[in-house]
Amino acid sequence: MEPFDEQTDFRSVGGGCGPGSITCEDALRVVHDFLDGELEGVTLAEVKAHFEVCQRCYPHLRFEQAFREAMRRACARETAPPALRDKLERLLAEAGQKG
Amino acid sequence: MTVEPGAKPGFAEEALPHLDAVYRFAIRLTGSADEAEDLVQETFLRAFRSWDQYARGTNAKSWLFTICRNVFLRKRERAQRHEEILALNAARVGAGSTPVANQMWSSAQGVDPEGDFFESIVDERIISAIEELPEEYRTAVVLSDIEGLPYAEIAALMEVPVGTVKSRLFRGRRRLQQVLYDYAVEMGYISAAAGENITG
Repeated sequence: MEPFDEQTDFRSVGGGCGPGSITCEDALRVVHDFLDGELEGVTLAEVKAHFEVCQRCYPHLRFEQAFREAMRRACARETAPPALRDKLERLLAEAGQKG
Repeated sequence: MTVEPGAKPGFAEEALPHLDAVYRFAIRLTGSADEAEDLVQETFLRAFRSWDQYARGTNAKSWLFTICRNVFLRKRERAQRHEEILALNAARVGAGSTPVANQMWSSAQGVDPEGDFFESIVDERIISAIEELPEEYRTAVVLSDIEGLPYAEIAALMEVPVGTVKSRLFRGRRRLQQVLYDYAVEMGYISAAAGENITG
């Protein structure tokens, strides 16, 4: 099942896509590029504007954001153990002495 | 850090600040704190020995990730982990294009369209879900979603085109979302009725 089969022509729905030069399909195609900071210039502005006003696409954006936030939250607290830092410091010092 | 002064100028300033990031990456690759520590040690020692080949001021973090992954892959090859390689080959079939929309979201939109359930999932479950991904998906997802590397850097690091990185990210995220969604349904964070609508 393609999830948006029944909603392919969002433009015909009216009200959901708001003003602007891109369609919901355009916006959803680049939702990951948008969240990953890969868009720039006019495209970035258009996509951002679309998500801000489109009631259909905004939840999709939030869904992907919530997923990324959960990923970062789960992994962000992990830091190298102090013992590893100490050991690495010693090993690098030894390697440095050996040249 | 008390690395021998002058032995490798700039190493302490450019490479060592990324120790936590490399450690996180190593844990995601190996799935084990002990193996991650060994991998981090080897990564930094190799980087230290090869420091003269590094173009100072470019991108030490990506460079360290590259070394880390290469060391890991060599170790994995030696360990003859054919199952994962076979799984990856199977996953490549039909992986040419990236669908527009997220089927996972389509399944969830009736009950939790903004993905609030992700907040309820404990860190350990998220981490185990990441570690269950095939390595090529896992690496792409970790480097993008957790470490924030741009597509071009991930592509260079994994020695694949940017389009392949995007495809792996898409599929890796989709798999993770599916696993976490199923878990949320199982734990009662969202209604079971929504879970029945998932078609894979």
